[in-house]
Amino acid sequence: MKLLAIDTSGLVCAVAVIRDGVLLAEYRTQYKKTHSQMLMPMLDALAKAIDLEMNTLDYVAVAAGPGSFTGLRIGAATAIGLASALGIPIVPVSTLDALAWQLCGEEGVVCPLMDARRGQVYTGIYRFRRGPRVDASAPFAMETIFTPTAVSVSEVADRLNDLGEPAVFLGDGVPPAQETLSERLQVPYRFAPLWKNRQSAAALADLAARYAKEGKAVQADAFRPVYLRASQAEREAKEKKAREAAGGEESTHACPPEIELRRMLPADAAAEAARETACLGREAWSERLLAEAADRRDSVYLVAVFDGRSIGHAGIRNVCGEGEITNVCVDEAWRRQGVGERMLRELLAQGKALGIEACTLEVRQSNTAAIRLYEKLGFVCAGARPGFYEEPREDALIYDFMTEKQD
Amino acid sequence: MMTPDGKDITLLAIESSCDETAAAVVRNGRQVLSDVIYSQIAVHRAYGGVVPEIASRKHVEAIEPCVRAALDEAGLSADRLDGVTVTSGPGLVGALLVGVSFAKAYAYAAGLPLVGVHHIDGHISANYIETPSLEPPFLCLVASGGHSHLVYVKDYGVYDILGQTRDDAAGEAFDKVARALGLPYPGGPSIDQAAAKGDPKAYHFPQAKIDGASFDFSFSGLKSAVLNVIHQAQQKKETISVPDVAASFQYAVVDVLTEHLLRAAQETGAQTVAIAGGVASNTALRERLTAECTERNLRFLCPRPVLCTDNAAMIGAAGYYAFLRGVRSELSLNAEPNLPLGSRERRFHGR
Repeated sequence: MKLLAIDTSGLVCAVAVIRDGVLLAEYRTQYKKTHSQMLMPMLDALAKAIDLEMNTLDYVAVAAGPGSFTGLRIGAATAIGLASALGIPIVPVSTLDALAWQLCGEEGVVCPLMDARRGQVYTGIYRFRRGPRVDASAPFAMETIFTPTAVSVSEVADRLNDLGEPAVFLGDGVPPAQETLSERLQVPYRFAPLWKNRQSAAALADLAARYAKEGKAVQADAFRPVYLRASQAEREAKEKKAREAAGGEESTHACPPEIELRRMLPADAAAEAARETACLGREAWSERLLAEAADRRDSVYLVAVFDGRSIGHAGIRNVCGEGEITNVCVDEAWRRQGVGERMLRELLAQGKALGIEACTLEVRQSNTAAIRLYEKLGFVCAGARPGFYEEPREDALIYDFMTEKQD
Repeated sequence: MMTPDGKDITLLAIESSCDETAAAVVRNGRQVLSDVIYSQIAVHRAYGGVVPEIASRKHVEAIEPCVRAALDEAGLSADRLDGVTVTSGPGLVGALLVGVSFAKAYAYAAGLPLVGVHHIDGHISANYIETPSLEPPFLCLVASGGHSHLVYVKDYGVYDILGQTRDDAAGEAFDKVARALGLPYPGGPSIDQAAAKGDPKAYHFPQAKIDGASFDFSFSGLKSAVLNVIHQAQQKKETISVPDVAASFQYAVVDVLTEHLLRAAQETGAQTVAIAGGVASNTALRERLTAECTERNLRFLCPRPVLCTDNAAMIGAAGYYAFLRGVRSELSLNAEPNLPLGSRERRFHGR
């Protein structure tokens, strides 16, 4: 039985061919070139090296996910194209299963980590048990203790602590997770060495051959990558539906795409100061303060523009890595249309580029529309400043936010 | 234009640059043996526009059934093909990658040559399918959701770009205005339908052109003017006539497209003018150009609507002429979201 395996789920691009339990060839790279440019030339070179006739293949195996959405699709579309032209089935293999299989025979538990962004990793926990029968080619059986999912690194550490066994980590999610792991883990742990700490098409191929024998191959049109996460648009639509179902009034609306955001200039200060006075009364910033803010390098101040006219502004200042959102102000006629949300999202994104990891703001306790927006964006109430505001006298609520990597 | 030995060339064509997964089998660039389109419009309508990540996922699911249906309909197996041709750009990168990756793998496994094609080259070439007697040179207006180009077709696949949009594409303006009017996505057909019952002179909107750049377009100002009318009416709690706004907006778009095309015909001396792209299926544009061209004794060509919107048959036509020119793509062929059409295309705002 001859099987070709492809893995483009992460930073590694890998191809291997096995025949009846013998690895004929494996090529892999971990380089900045895109998988789209790398994969097919790599397959062609490998095929030439071992005089591979494509029509002698019995299966195409592919890393089905999780992983980078684009990477998974390049591997999937390539596998589907090959399988379709050759009339052979596809063997989908979980990326995490294949990663773990490289450490077949390890004592304790094996924990592959793939960077899932948004502060999470794709991970699973595996254990190897010596098989009941003496089988030279498969002395161990892989047991999945924790099925592949996207969770925070802390949660992975907690689960491993609960298991109480020594752990080995591998995968491209290890470097960003190392600090958290060292802080939280109470079990002995180590990291797999360089030559087996990333995706391997050989391991994938070996596991796929076993799956094929178990009848787990599928036809090309039935194969679907396993993303483990819905697209951002679907997630947002679902959240919105849930909020509506909960009876909550829809606080924000999709911002009209015709509204453009640009940096505030000192020349805008007079107009923006007038808006502040109209919106905020005594809390309004003066023209001088705004002109100064527009010029500061530790700050980002944005104006929202519709048809050449400013309709709102917002700003953030970086204070030693913590951002303070100082102003959010939208013309009355343009409120409740998503303008504030768009400005805030942009401020958070640009603030991250300034090195802002966390940010904070104050809001009048009675300003429920603004509070709903901050909560929607992930801000969490951290306390109150009694009597902070004047005219009318009122408490300020403090809202904090931790920035996360986005998709 | 034929192969030197007069042999038939049959290509499998694949297109996945936006929200349609499409495959076709085309013989000698003009004979469509099959043309299969799996549209995702219904999926994206819920979001008011194309969501790239969802589009890419749908392409992965649809591509194999789509290609198989195209081959079945044509009654051919892979060994009867002479090559595979695929849109490599421009478009949504994630969407393009599915078609490009599939096509490379399919061609490689089947031992066939691969020809990467420019999406606009495809739109223009839809005219070769529609009008078998058409040969270059001719003038062509390409207007769609992503493109607005005025092109002089010197020879097969050889283009002189006379004008292009500085900001929004014509079809993009249709989508945004439709959304503001509460009409469903895609905006082109919605506006077309609504406008049929409206008065095109009810509102006067600015012309979508650039002073001093005679063949360029600018649809952003026109779009803002329409949105302003809608917004002001909302502020004053007045009701607007959706058909009237749609008809007046459409009139302004058709007017500038027609004016540019006719003036370009005069300047280049072209006797044949053609249109292509999704906006070319707009009823008002087709009627206006038919009338104006008849008056000026120009030959006017437009593909039937299914060949105007994204499809793979047009890629099969463009791919055929590229194939004859000896174009062959490497296995490293990548998706190019901003692939320029020839060397003279200019970039505005990253478009």
